[in-house]
Amino acid sequence: MTQRPKPVPVVNPWARPFWDAAMEDRLTFQKCKDCGANIFYPRIACTECFSDNLDWVNASGKGTIYSYTVVENNSPTAFLGDCPYVVAIVRLDEGPQMLTNIINCDPYSIQCDMPVKVVFEQLNEEFKLPKFQPI
Amino acid sequence: MSNLKGKVAFVGIGEVPTGRHADKAAIYHAIKSAKMAIRDAGINKDEIDYVLPTASLYSPAFNTEMVTCRVVEELGLKNCKKNVQIFSGGSSSSNALLIASTLINQGMARYVLFVHTDRLGTGVNLQQGIDLFSTAGISAEWEVPFGQHYSSIAALATTRYQYETGCTDEEMSAVCVSNRKWAELNPNAFFRKPLTIEEVMSSKMLSTPLRAKQSNMLFDGGAAFVLTSAERARDVADRPVYLLGEGGVVTHFVYSQEKDITRYGWAEAGKTAFEQAGLTPKDIDVAEIYDSYPVYQIIGLEELGFCERGEAGKLFLNGDTWPGGKLPCTTNGGMLSQGHTGAGGAVALMVEAVRQLMGKAGERQVKDARFAVETATGGTYMDSQVTILGTEIP
Repeated sequence: MTQRPKPVPVVNPWARPFWDAAMEDRLTFQKCKDCGANIFYPRIACTECFSDNLDWVNASGKGTIYSYTVVENNSPTAFLGDCPYVVAIVRLDEGPQMLTNIINCDPYSIQCDMPVKVVFEQLNEEFKLPKFQPI
Repeated sequence: MSNLKGKVAFVGIGEVPTGRHADKAAIYHAIKSAKMAIRDAGINKDEIDYVLPTASLYSPAFNTEMVTCRVVEELGLKNCKKNVQIFSGGSSSSNALLIASTLINQGMARYVLFVHTDRLGTGVNLQQGIDLFSTAGISAEWEVPFGQHYSSIAALATTRYQYETGCTDEEMSAVCVSNRKWAELNPNAFFRKPLTIEEVMSSKMLSTPLRAKQSNMLFDGGAAFVLTSAERARDVADRPVYLLGEGGVVTHFVYSQEKDITRYGWAEAGKTAFEQAGLTPKDIDVAEIYDSYPVYQIIGLEELGFCERGEAGKLFLNGDTWPGGKLPCTTNGGMLSQGHTGAGGAVALMVEAVRQLMGKAGERQVKDARFAVETATGGTYMDSQVTILGTEIP
């Protein structure tokens, strides 16, 4: 089967700063200037206090694996050539959770609560995706 | 909700066999199921005044026909006031039940027909189905680019649940075996041959630790039910099935934003529903727990309070949930064995709960079933909906 092009993020305009920062190898999230909440994914207003007063801050890029799976078969068409690949939910040290891929390691060596750090992978000319690797 | 307890009842159910029906159009399953449900209710079709179709996923064009009153016209309903689609993915039946019940209790509606049909077995091929479910309800910005899809979502839940509780692969596989034992007795189920734990555990790995036989498959199917007020129900039905309690919690849209992928909102939704009904899990004769993948059925039983956390797998392994067991669970075989029909997975479970309580479940009838709990969830397990039904009003 011919590999389909990888799906690119369908960007909501207010999330554009996140993707721009990713192109510079920076992982960012929003911080509410009024209540201090750390927010990911990017929102129009603070999910805690409804404030519009949101700032962008750099994340440490470190976190732990909340859960993971090694996709071996029956993936979406665009990913069939990548199997086996790892899908994981990472909890950043600052609190927010995000879906990602764990790369640069043996997929079968991964465990829950394993510490990881961000590494950016070029998707195309417009996007780098934040992925993670074991520390 | 206290004012809805015992005020509304199911008086008729209908369902076509789940399968691959390439020779039949989607509307056929809707009309067949609806006609069966109206006949079962023993009413004249023209007494239906509200029709609530839910969505069909296989074809946006066909779904538009469901939105634009095709069911009403095909059935020739002469006194229908409203046709309104109610859709929340897999929890559509629960949400439609609550909305219909409210309308009936307010005197706005007399007889409400809810109907579902889809053709995910023959209307799309396997890879189209995977691709449909790698985008439907999955964030195009935050998850699709990482290869997320429904198997990986279920696998993420399974990995973390097993990590936290020690539940074994064998226990997880026992859910599939338990559901199959019920499906063997269900003429509307697609998978009816006996299944062993060894067969489940040796089937193709999809996304670790989730295997092919721990995954639902998509089929064609349809189901329907008719609701009316408890007063009218007592006039028309031999054994009306009353809505006793209901609870729901919405927890997320983007799966990776879920704070606890091993619990979701089931505990709170269940507590609300049981309190409204004035019942506890000990009173329940049949538990129709949403499956789609084994981990969700295990989590559902535990969070509703049928057993301690980490213990549900043992109930599936030791036979408590099987036919003849002390906690009959997902007695139509669930999406794992009856088959998954999109929004219909939990429609089938709701119809099965009513069927058991009406005493119409044939070979798999749970003796003297009076009270049932049924669960449903939509999207990527975005909401937890719990319904309690009974033939008596406690």
